[in-house]
Amino acid sequence: MEIGYGQDREQRMLRDRVQARWTSTYSPVRHLDPVLVLTALALTGIGLVAIYSAKLVALSSQDLPTTFYVTRQLIALAIGVIAMVLAAIIDYRQVRIYAPALYGIGLILLILTLTPLGTEINGSQRWIVIGGFQLQPSELVKLSVLVTIAALLHESKGAPHIGHVGLSLLLTLVPTGLVFLQPDLGTSLVFIWGTAVLFLIGGVQARYLIGLVVGGIGAIVVGWQQGLVAEYQVSRLTAFLEAADATAAQTAAFQTRQSLIAIGSGQFAGKGLFEGTQTSLSYVPENHTDFIFTVIGEEFGFLGASVVLGLYLVLVWRGLRIAILSKDMFGTLVASGIVAILTLQVFVNVGMTVGLMPVTGLPLPFISYGGTSLIVWFAMIGLLLNVHMRRF
Amino acid sequence: MASPSSDASPVLRLTFLAVLVIALFLALFARLWFLQVLTGDRYVELADSNRLRTVVSEAPRGSILAADGEELVRNRPALAISADRQVLLDDAGEPRDEEAERVIARLGELLDLDHDEVIDRLGSQRRSPFRPVPIETDVPQEVVFTVREQQELFTGVETETLPVREYPEGTLASHLVGYIGEISQEELLDPEFTDYLGGDLVGRSGLEQSYESELRGTPGRRLLVVNARENVLDVQSDRAPIPGNDLITTIDLDLQQATERLLEEGIESSRDIQRDDGRFLPSVAGSAVALDARTGAVLSMASYPDYDPREFLGGLSQDYAELLFEPESYQPLVNRAIAGEYPPGSVFKTASGAAMIEAGQIGPRGTRDCDAEFEVGGVTFRNWNRGVNEGPMDLSDALKRSCDTYFYTLAYDNWQQEQAQDDPEEALIEVGERFGFGRSLDLDLPGELDGRLPGRAWRQAYWEANRDRWCEQAEAAPEGSVERELLADNCQFGGAWRGGDAVNSSIGQGDVLSTPLQVAASYQAIANDGVLMRPHVGDRIVGPDGEVVEEIEPEALGDLGLDDQVLAVMREGLEAVLMDASGTGESAFDGFPLAEIPVAGKTGTAEAGPRVPYSWFVAYAPADDPEIVVVVNVEQGGGGSQTAAPIVRNILEHHFRITAAEDAEFEAGEEILD
Repeated sequence: MEIGYGQDREQRMLRDRVQARWTSTYSPVRHLDPVLVLTALALTGIGLVAIYSAKLVALSSQDLPTTFYVTRQLIALAIGVIAMVLAAIIDYRQVRIYAPALYGIGLILLILTLTPLGTEINGSQRWIVIGGFQLQPSELVKLSVLVTIAALLHESKGAPHIGHVGLSLLLTLVPTGLVFLQPDLGTSLVFIWGTAVLFLIGGVQARYLIGLVVGGIGAIVVGWQQGLVAEYQVSRLTAFLEAADATAAQTAAFQTRQSLIAIGSGQFAGKGLFEGTQTSLSYVPENHTDFIFTVIGEEFGFLGASVVLGLYLVLVWRGLRIAILSKDMFGTLVASGIVAILTLQVFVNVGMTVGLMPVTGLPLPFISYGGTSLIVWFAMIGLLLNVHMRRF
Repeated sequence: MASPSSDASPVLRLTFLAVLVIALFLALFARLWFLQVLTGDRYVELADSNRLRTVVSEAPRGSILAADGEELVRNRPALAISADRQVLLDDAGEPRDEEAERVIARLGELLDLDHDEVIDRLGSQRRSPFRPVPIETDVPQEVVFTVREQQELFTGVETETLPVREYPEGTLASHLVGYIGEISQEELLDPEFTDYLGGDLVGRSGLEQSYESELRGTPGRRLLVVNARENVLDVQSDRAPIPGNDLITTIDLDLQQATERLLEEGIESSRDIQRDDGRFLPSVAGSAVALDARTGAVLSMASYPDYDPREFLGGLSQDYAELLFEPESYQPLVNRAIAGEYPPGSVFKTASGAAMIEAGQIGPRGTRDCDAEFEVGGVTFRNWNRGVNEGPMDLSDALKRSCDTYFYTLAYDNWQQEQAQDDPEEALIEVGERFGFGRSLDLDLPGELDGRLPGRAWRQAYWEANRDRWCEQAEAAPEGSVERELLADNCQFGGAWRGGDAVNSSIGQGDVLSTPLQVAASYQAIANDGVLMRPHVGDRIVGPDGEVVEEIEPEALGDLGLDDQVLAVMREGLEAVLMDASGTGESAFDGFPLAEIPVAGKTGTAEAGPRVPYSWFVAYAPADDPEIVVVVNVEQGGGGSQTAAPIVRNILEHHFRITAAEDAEFEAGEEILD
């Protein structure tokens, strides 16, 4: 048997192939989660159709282009995709390092919102206008608080002591308070909920968790009695329970009632695209933003509504899978935190349109009209991808 | 896996989160299934009621015309300012917002109405919420211009043209035509008015009421698609109002005018007549009916006093309502020709005479003595012509002279014969009904009364209904008084039909009651060879396009069932009433060209207690080929020949173009209290 050049070459080529396979295996880009991205894009697409349908009659009656909102949402989508790519490229472990800075910037924006620089719409001061684009800082802060708390709990390696819990609580309550002052009850609840879930996953001991729940309920009761919650917020919260005081709860009750009519009248298969009368005749207020689910329920019926909820469940499934597969605590926390916020927003928003939950101004992720929300949600998808790609 | 230092707890905790998430999603799915699949139908209805608004527009009501096509009632377009209640008022009936408040204030200023008055009218529960509420009708053109030119200042305010009832002939035929009014809450609940809405006008009396379904038409209905701000986006369906049909009546406009005029003049002139006892005739009220002798068509019908139907437009005023219901006004709303029940007196003798012949008490040419008086059970019944025996008379003579005793004796004999039977068939009731007495004649006007043909069964029922009261009154009356005796007798034996009752009934007195229309109809049957025709006012119904929808054909109600000979003798007697020198109506027709136009008729003077008697006269002409029957009744007008007969004469003179109503004069006849 003759050992020649050819054999050596074969061995070298084999080694190269194995090397290439290994590098490609570990190349993060090869571990994208296409299901996650496609699902997010599908939801955004449904959102664009629903926004177009919701405002078709209203815009044409005002002689405005019928694509007015859709165009703006498409621009936000483009920015969102860029944000998603950026959030996926930078190694998420490095994000931990930038967390304090992200947190600081978020806080400053929130404070600026409350100054005369902020813009007030419908009695709420939630926006900063930059070059014709309305930025909603609370949406950004949602992300920065999540990352900050996750980073902090990551440090405690699954057994956070009381000091970390206390600091996390403080870091959550400050932006929560600022958002609450806007006032935006829904988003402040999202902050608290997000931190609570991070505590749960991050290994905070059960007795602390129970203590926090009891303390939280106590704070709500005190806040209620001290009148810290604005009148309209109380009435909105109680309207869905058909509160006795009809006049105070009238607006919220009207919204809920019209929303129920819209969704209920969609029946099983829906009235068909652009055929929704409740939608097109503006019976449901804010039906391109907070009440967008009424358009889906009315025009696509139970079938369409189920498809949308199903798509969210796909996101939840991929998110939880990423949380489990993550190789470190930070990744698990970020992924489960995103899943928790997504679930809460979907439940509160859809629950509000079907009369299960009080009327609060929370957008439906990916679907509601609103640039900041869409961009931040794509950034969160980017973070999930990031954790997923670097799981080995 | 997560951090190497951790145990299984992060996975456990993630599972907990997963379960929580799935539970929340399941709650949403369950709720959606309930809303959309299980109860979706209800929400579909709610969505439709949200977006659809029904706007009802009134259909112009049909006109009522005289036989020659002249309009008795028609519609006139009137400019109106209306407002949309839903735009201006909230559920509590208060101005919806500041803008609504300003619009209401402007409206008040424009129409010179109080602020609260505008809100009251706008919120009136009698108005349908489905159409604009008229705030003011019959506004001047300028007001309409003001609103139209500044529509932005008058949100929710509309100008419209509403049909308003108009009476070109004024009060003419007011009792026939009737009046209209807004539908009441009770009527709205009535199944008969299911397709009516609050604020709708509905016929309240007369032809307006009896032909309501034809005259009303079908309201228009527009189904509008509106958005949440009540802006109209689309018209889903639009059904134009269908105008009501017109009613062409049998009323001879010229004769109607003459009848009303002559009745009024006659009644008012008769008040100058001094009776033999020195008193002046009160002649408080009266009525007249002219029928076509062959068809039963009502040619004219008048009731005095009358009223002005225009006063009912847009609601009756307090003053006019008080005037109408004052006792001295003698109930002007009542159409006495059909709703006045009087003892018929001697005009009833045709029916009672026929009944006696039918019962076999006498033949058509058989005679009875026309004695001065007749005694039954200790009570003396006198002939009207006091103290003279006029000798033997047959039916013809008895009618001519209106001899009471001829009828008394026959009625008494008949009563005795009937008393002997176990369950007697009462001839007067049976024949009376054939003449049209004691029953409805099915006239196409509301409020027609039946009158009364009393007999044994009636008396028994009447006694049973009143016995207790009579007995109590008898107890209360002073001991030994005549009153007590009478009441005690009534209490004990009031259920018995006695000879005196039969005798009284035979001359249309006692408990016999009849409407002027019934008297006219009975003579129409005599004039029409014994065939009683259904009296009717409607002739035909014509659609808005002029096409005849329905012809109202003359209809026979029945036959008098009399021998030709009996009818001939009866007609001979009725002709003699006017054309024989000894006839009771002769004096009233003095100078009437009876040779060219022979007239047959009958006088009647109905006693009504202590009051001055009621004057009756009924006639048909020409007697040999009758075309018209005229009856006149004057309450407390004295003798039939005295007051009613001259009025009938004047009506006939107008009808036959002898003397026009305008030139006629009332000349009282002789005072014969038959």
